[in-house]
Amino acid sequence: MANEDTSAYWRKLLKLDEEEKEDILKQFEYPHRFLRPLLYLIFGLFSRTYFKLRAFGVENVPEKPPYIIAPNHVSAADYHCVAFSLPKEIKKNLYVLVTKVFYDNPFTGFFIKVGANAARIDTVEDFFPAMRVAASILKLGKAVYINPEGTRSETGKLMPFKVGVGVLAVELGVPIVPVYVDGTFELLPTGSVFPKPGKVNVFFGKPISMEEYQEKKKTESAYYVYKEVTEELRKRILELREKAQELRK
Amino acid sequence: MENLEKDIKKIVSKVIKIPEEKIAPDANLFYDLGVDSLLGVEIFAALDKKYNIDVPEERIRKISTLNDIISLIKEALEGEQKGS
Repeated sequence: MANEDTSAYWRKLLKLDEEEKEDILKQFEYPHRFLRPLLYLIFGLFSRTYFKLRAFGVENVPEKPPYIIAPNHVSAADYHCVAFSLPKEIKKNLYVLVTKVFYDNPFTGFFIKVGANAARIDTVEDFFPAMRVAASILKLGKAVYINPEGTRSETGKLMPFKVGVGVLAVELGVPIVPVYVDGTFELLPTGSVFPKPGKVNVFFGKPISMEEYQEKKKTESAYYVYKEVTEELRKRILELREKAQELRK
Repeated sequence: MENLEKDIKKIVSKVIKIPEEKIAPDANLFYDLGVDSLLGVEIFAALDKKYNIDVPEERIRKISTLNDIISLIKEALEGEQKGS
């Protein structure tokens, strides 16, 4: 099948060629946000003392969005640790898609709404709408936090990646920043409510540019290009994991 | 209608790169034939091009067998005929 058919179909499904209305970002402006500076102060302190959070390679994160931040996912604390590894200016332009389980929970939902630019999604039932939200945010020149595994790993091991991240990056021409979060699985795995104290290290890799892949898409099947991007991202995250393991020794 | 079914099977076979004779109508494309969700979208991209039909995206997510795809396309084509 011709590569342009797949690409065109995805563009149609995700409405990539339609003009974006700035309004979509307004839905992330919750009234709770006036508490954000206080929460950042408390969480920032918590991250540095309780989690002994350290960040490596933050300079790899582009100063100006749009781009995708793509970390592994082993714990409910992952977003917190990635976000608190980033400078305030970057965090301000970072949007995260949160599954309804956390978003609708009064306790976690409160902190999510105060602390993050969060959009509620249902990845099981509403895959395409969720992809469209991410696409809209990127089209408006912001950064999006996407877990390429699609869900939390219950074993702590890196799971196969979903290709949606590749579709978004290639079709919108936005770079992907690979990220590896190390330590959160031991401190707050799935099923735990209270985090244990310990060490968390977050590694940011060099962004994966889409220029080469967009060129490839002109001659090769878009399907394989999306997959290639996703595989490259997984490879880069595994490289970061090696760095993390070195540091643990 | 028989031709339509054959044509759809041919398109699906071409996209997923599995010979037509190995695609049982009730086989689960994802679990039995190893099709990933992206390839699932690719099938609909090919069918969209061939029949120029709009398949609701929530239905795309629910298909699992060749028979599901055939029913969906038939429904979409009938809907278009009624509409015209």
